[in-house]
Amino acid sequence: MAYLSMGEAHRRITDYLSRFSDAVSSQDASALSVLFGVSSNSAFLQALADALRVLQDSDRLVERYSQLAEILSPLLRCLQSYGLGRYTDAYVALEKAANAFLQEFRNWETAWAMESMQTVALEIRLLAEKADRELSSSGKNPEKLQGAGSFLMKVFGALAGKGPKRAGALYVACQLFKVYFKLGTVHLCRSVIRSIETARIFDFEEFPVKDKVTYMYYTGRLEVYNENFLVADQKLTYALMHCCPEREDNKRMILKYLIPVKLSIGILPKQWLLQKYNLVEYSEVVTALRKGDIRLLRNALREHEDRFLRSGVFLVLEKLELQVYQRLIKKIYLLQKQKDPSKAHQVKLESIVKALRWLEMDMDIDEVECIMAILIHKNLTKGYIAHKNKVVVLSKQDPFPKLNGKPVSS
Amino acid sequence: MTSRGAEPSAVVDSRSTETVDVGKSHGSSYPSLHPAPQPWSSSTGELGISSSGYHYDPQRQICMPGDAQGMTSGSHSSTPSNIVTANTTQPYSGYAPYSSSTTSYNYNAAGFQNYYYGHHLPGNDSTQQIVGDQNSGAAYQPLSTFQNSGSYVGPTSYLGTYYNAGDNQSGAGYENNNYNYQTSSWNDGNYHHYPHHPYSSYTTSATSVTQTSATATNSLYYPQQYNKWPYYYNQPAPVANGVAGTDNSPATSLQSAGYLGVSGGYPYASNQPPPPGTTSWREESKPPVVPSFQEKEAVVPYNSNKTWDAVAPGLQTPTISQSTYFQNPLNPTPLPNENHDSQQKVLYSQPPNLQHSTSNQVSEIFQPQQQTVPLTEARQVSKMQIPTNPRIAPNVGVNVLKSQKESSTVSAATRPAYISVGNDKSSSVDDSGLTKGLPPSFCAYVTRSFARCKDDAERSANTNILKQLIGKETADGTLFTKNWDIEPLFPLTIEQGAQQNLVSDSSLPILKRSPSRRKSRWEPVADEKSSEKPTSVDIHSAKEVDSKSSIGKSVNGWGGLKFLPSQQQSTLHKFSPRPSKKARFFDTSNVTEIGDHSSDSDKEQNLTKYSASAIALANSPEEKKRRENRFKRFEKGQGNQTDMKYTRPKISGASSIYTRKASALLKAKSFEDGGNKAVEDIDWDSLTVKGTCQEIEKRYLRLTSAPDPSTVRPEEILEKALHMVQTSQKNYLYKCDQLKSIRQDLTVQRIQNALTVKVYETHARLALEAGDLPEYNQCQSQLKRLYAEGIEGCRMEFSAYNLLSIILHSNNKRELLSSMRSLSAEAKGDEAVKHALDVHTAVSSGNYILFFRLYKSAPNLNTFFMDLYAEKMRFEAAKCICKSYRPVVPVAYFTRALGFSKSIQVDDNQDANINGFEECEEWLKAHGAVLTVDNNGDLQVDTKASSSTLYMPEQEDAVAHGDANLALDDFFTRTQ
Repeated sequence: MAYLSMGEAHRRITDYLSRFSDAVSSQDASALSVLFGVSSNSAFLQALADALRVLQDSDRLVERYSQLAEILSPLLRCLQSYGLGRYTDAYVALEKAANAFLQEFRNWETAWAMESMQTVALEIRLLAEKADRELSSSGKNPEKLQGAGSFLMKVFGALAGKGPKRAGALYVACQLFKVYFKLGTVHLCRSVIRSIETARIFDFEEFPVKDKVTYMYYTGRLEVYNENFLVADQKLTYALMHCCPEREDNKRMILKYLIPVKLSIGILPKQWLLQKYNLVEYSEVVTALRKGDIRLLRNALREHEDRFLRSGVFLVLEKLELQVYQRLIKKIYLLQKQKDPSKAHQVKLESIVKALRWLEMDMDIDEVECIMAILIHKNLTKGYIAHKNKVVVLSKQDPFPKLNGKPVSS
Repeated sequence: MTSRGAEPSAVVDSRSTETVDVGKSHGSSYPSLHPAPQPWSSSTGELGISSSGYHYDPQRQICMPGDAQGMTSGSHSSTPSNIVTANTTQPYSGYAPYSSSTTSYNYNAAGFQNYYYGHHLPGNDSTQQIVGDQNSGAAYQPLSTFQNSGSYVGPTSYLGTYYNAGDNQSGAGYENNNYNYQTSSWNDGNYHHYPHHPYSSYTTSATSVTQTSATATNSLYYPQQYNKWPYYYNQPAPVANGVAGTDNSPATSLQSAGYLGVSGGYPYASNQPPPPGTTSWREESKPPVVPSFQEKEAVVPYNSNKTWDAVAPGLQTPTISQSTYFQNPLNPTPLPNENHDSQQKVLYSQPPNLQHSTSNQVSEIFQPQQQTVPLTEARQVSKMQIPTNPRIAPNVGVNVLKSQKESSTVSAATRPAYISVGNDKSSSVDDSGLTKGLPPSFCAYVTRSFARCKDDAERSANTNILKQLIGKETADGTLFTKNWDIEPLFPLTIEQGAQQNLVSDSSLPILKRSPSRRKSRWEPVADEKSSEKPTSVDIHSAKEVDSKSSIGKSVNGWGGLKFLPSQQQSTLHKFSPRPSKKARFFDTSNVTEIGDHSSDSDKEQNLTKYSASAIALANSPEEKKRRENRFKRFEKGQGNQTDMKYTRPKISGASSIYTRKASALLKAKSFEDGGNKAVEDIDWDSLTVKGTCQEIEKRYLRLTSAPDPSTVRPEEILEKALHMVQTSQKNYLYKCDQLKSIRQDLTVQRIQNALTVKVYETHARLALEAGDLPEYNQCQSQLKRLYAEGIEGCRMEFSAYNLLSIILHSNNKRELLSSMRSLSAEAKGDEAVKHALDVHTAVSSGNYILFFRLYKSAPNLNTFFMDLYAEKMRFEAAKCICKSYRPVVPVAYFTRALGFSKSIQVDDNQDANINGFEECEEWLKAHGAVLTVDNNGDLQVDTKASSSTLYMPEQEDAVAHGDANLALDDFFTRTQ
C-alpha cells in the first residue's frame, strides 16, 4: 500500500463526509447508497478505509455534521474495521450507524432514502454473515446474524405500515427471509408473511418484481416444507416465470424446489431441463418414476441424501415411492393385458411380489398387500383387494388415474 | 474452634469501636444517671478484688470509662475481647473433660455471631442501648442481687432500675461498649464463678432477667423475679467476685483484667452450655430443670408481662432448657456437679446458677448484639432464648412454628453465627488435634504458635513442641491454670486461671482470629489463618456432621438455640416496640454519635445491616465505610440473603443441617471477610454447592432459594440413589420424584458427567415406559446438550428416540430433516436408529404392515413411542383396509395387520393369534367396524359397510386440557 499522507487522508475523509452530507441534504438516495455500501468494495470506499487507517481521529472531523454525527461516526469506524478485515467490529459499528440512520429515516416524510435504506439492510445482512464466519472460526458464538435479523425486523416495522415507504417493505422482508432461512428459524417468517399478505392496503403486484420473485421463492420453499404442494407449485412457478431470464442461477434455485414439487403432483421434467440447470441429481428419480423402478428411487435417494436433506426436499422425494409402485403395478397390468386381456384386471399379489423380487426388493405378500391397499386408498389405483384370493381386482376403467397436477391424496 | 471464639470477640470489638465516641459521652452521662457509676469506675481497678456485685458493674463501667478516657475503642475492644477469650479458655480448660462439646462450642460462637450481626446492622441507637442495658442489668443482677437488672430490660423501668440501665440508656453508642463489657463482665463472673457455684447462679439469674427484660416491657414481673434473684445472686456473687478479681487482675492491668475476666467468663459460659447440652443435657437434667425454671424465673416474669404471655412460654421454655442444658455440662465439672444436683431441684440454687450462667452468658452475648438494632431487642430476647430454644424446640412445637415465621432478619442473624462457627472450625482444624480438652486460652496460644508457622515443616515442629508442652504442663498441672494469652510463644509461665476448660478451646482462639479483632495483639497471626480456613472449615463441619454421635447432640441443641431465638425474636418484635422506643429516646437525647450508623432504617435495612455487620467486625474507623459498602453489596447480592433465608427454616431440622449451613455461611462470610471483593468479583464456581447429604432417598422439591448443602447429596450418594431407583419396585411417580431430586442435586452441584447422562437416560426411559412425554422431553433436551458436550452415553439409543419423537409426535418436517441430517454414518448403521428411520418410512407411506412389524421388533424402548402412535396407525390402517378390500376381510387378518397378534409372522400359531383376536375384535367394534360371521363361523369385517361407519372414538381418559398426565384423578391414583 502506497504511503498515504495525512493531508490526503484528511482530504478523503472530509470528502466522504461532505458527500454524505450533500446526499442527505439533496435527498440523493443513490449517492447515499454508494456511501453505505460497505462491502461493495468500491475503490472510493477502499481509499477511504486507507485514509481512516492513517488518520485516527476521524471523529473530530465528524463533529461538524452534528445531526449526522451519530450515523457518520460509527459508519467511519465500520469502514475502517472492514478495511482491516475485522468484520465483527465492522458489523457492530454498522449496526450502530444503521440504527441512527433508521431513526433519521423514520423522521423523513417521504421515502426518498428507500434505496439507501435497502442498501443498509443488505449491508447489515452481508456483514453479519461475515462477522459470524469470523466469530465461529475463532470459536465464539456466532450471533451477529441474529442481531441483524432483529435489526431488519425493526426496519421492516418502519416500512411495512401504510404509506409511501411500504414499497420497500418487501425487499426487507426478503432480507429477513434470507436471514431466517440461514439461521434455521423459518418459523419467524410467518409474521413477516402475514403482514405482507394480509394487508389490504397494498396490492402485492405493486411491489418491485425482483422483490416479488424473491418473496415467492422463499414462501414457495416454505410451502414445500409444509408439503403444501399445490401452493408451493403456484409460488415457485410464479417466481420462475418472473425471474430475470438472464439469471440462470436464480432459475436453478427455483427449479431445485419446483421440480420435486412438480414430481409429487405427477408432472415429470424433461431430461434436458435437468441437464441445462445442472439438476442431475433428480434425473434418477425421474427415471425411477418413469420406469416404476422402486430400487432406483431408493438408491437415488440414498445417493443424494445429504443434498436432499440440506435442501429439504428429501421428504418430498421419499413420498414419490407410491407413484413408483403405481407405475410398477401399471406395468404388470399392461404386461398381463398383452398376455391375456380378459384377465388383465386381476393382478395376483404373488406376481407383484415376484416383480419386486426382480428388483431385489424383498417383500412378503402381506407387505405387498398393504402397499396395494394404500395405493387404492390413496386413489393411485382403482380397484379392490380380494383378501381371500390374494388378488387385486383393478377397475376396468382407468385403473391408474393420473395425478394431473393434483397431489396424492393423503 | 478458635476462630469461633474470635468472632464473638470481634463482634464486641466492632461495637466498641463504633461506640467509642458514645462511650465518652456516656462517661459524662453515667455519673448523672447512675448513682453508682463512680464506684464502678473505681471498681474497675478493683475489679478483681471488689465484691462480686460491684465487681461486675465496674468492669462494665471500666470499659466505658476507658472509652471515654480517649482510649481508642478499637484497641480497647480488641484487647478486651482477647482477654476475654483468654479467660474463657481458662474456664474451659477446667471443663475440658467435657470437651466433647467442642462442636457445641462452635455453635455457640455461631449464635454469638448472629447476635453480633444483628447489632451491627441496625445502627442501633436506641435499641442498642436497651440491649446493653438488659445485658448489664442481667449481669449485674446476678452479682449484686440487683433486681433492677430486670428493670433494665424494660425501657420504662430503666430510670428506676440500676445504674447499668441508666448507663445504657444514656449512651446509645455505649450499647456496643456495654455489650462487650457486659459480656466480658459476665464472663468474668462466670469464670470465676465457675469454680464457685455462686457465680454460676448469678449468671443464670442474670440471663433469666435479661430474658424477661428483653421480652417484656413490663417492669412488674421483674420485681418478682428480682426477689427471687437476689437470693440466688447474693449467695454466689461474693464468691464469684472475689475469684474473678483475683484471677484476672494478676494477668493484666486492671482494665484489661476486668475485661479479661469478663470476657473469659463469657466465652466460657457460652462454651460450657453447649457441651453440656450436647452430652448429658437432654438425658439427665432437662426435664427437671425446665419445669423449675419456668416456674421461678420465666413464668413469673412472663406472667407479669401481658404482651409476653403468648410469647413467653416459648421463650421461657427455651431459657429453661438452656439452664438445664448447661447444668448438665456443668455437672461434669467438679464444682458444677455439686451444684448440679441442687440445681435441678432448686432452680435458682447455686448449681442451677452455674447452668444459668452459662445460658445467661450466651444470652448476654446475644443481647449485646441485639442492642445495636432497635428491633433487636426483641431479637435479643429471642436470641437469649435461643440457646435454650434448640432444646426447647423439640419440646415445644410453638417455638418452631414461630421460628418459621421469623423475618429475614432473624435468618440473617443466624447466618452470621454460622459463619462464625465455620471459622472456628476452620481455625481449629489445624489445632483441633492438639487443643481438644485444653483450655481455650491454651488453644489460642496454640493457634498463635501455629500462625507463625510458614510451612508444613514448621507446623509439624510446632506441633511436636506443643505436644511436649502440653505433656509437661499437664504433668505440672499448670495447663489449665496458666494464662496462655499472655504467655510468650514458647516460653511458658504459669498462672492461676479458670480450671474449667472444655472442648470449647477452639472457640476462644477463634475469637482472636476474627478479622475484626485484628487490632488485638494476636490478631495478625490469627488473621492469616482465618483467611485460609474457610475451605478447611467445610471439611471439618462435614466431619462433625458425620460424627453425629457425640457432637451431633450438642450441635442440635445449639442449632436449636439459634433458631429458636430467631423465632422468639420475631415474636418479641411485636411485643417489644415500646421498650425499644423508649430506649431510643434515651439514646437520641444522650447520645448523638450512635446515630451515625442508621438509627431509623426500616426493618429490612436493619436486617441487611445485621447480616452485613455480622460478617465483618471492624475496630477501625473505616468500619463504617466498609459496612456501608457491605450493605450495598447485600442489597445487590441478594443471593446471600436468600441463602440466609434458606438456611433458617431448615435449621430447625436436623443438627447436621446446621453444621452444613455453617459451612455454607462460612463461604459467604469468607467472601465478606476477604474483604473488599465486590459481588461481581466473587468466583461463583467456588460457591457451587457441594452436597453433604447422606440420605439416598430424597423427595423432589422445587427450589425457591439457594440450595442448602446439607440437603444436597454428593455425587457418590447420587449414584447410590440412582441405583436405588433403578432397582426399586415402586411405581413411576415415586421414581420420577426421586430422579427429579437427583437431577436437581446434580444441577445444583453443576455435575455434568457420565452420571448426569445416566440419570437423564434413566429418567427418560422410565418416563417413556410410563408414557410421560413431558418429562421425557425435558430429559431428551438435556441429553442432547450433554451429548453435544461430548459426554458418552447411549447416544444412539437416544437419537433414535429423538427421531421417533419427531416422526410420531411433533411431526415437524424441518425438525426431522435437520435431525436426519445430523445423523452420522455410524448412527445410520445403528440398529435403533435404523429402526427409527424405518418407522419414519412406514409412517410417511402409511405402511401399517411395516409399522406393526417394526412395532414388534422395536429395540430398546422404541416400542413406547410407537405405542403412542399405534392407535392412530391402526385407525388409518382400518380405514385403508376397509376402502381397499372387498367384500370382507377376516378379523384374523386385522389382528395380524394391526399388530394385535403377538406374532404376525407365524400364521400357524393359532394361540398367539387368538391372543390378539379378541382384543382386535373389541377394537374393531369400538371403532365402528361392521362385523359379520361367514359360513365357516369366522368373524369377518364387512369392509364396504365399515368404510362409512369407522370412526375414532373419543379417548376415555381425555381431559379438557389435553394432557392426560395432568389429570387430577389420574395423578392421585398414581401417587398412591
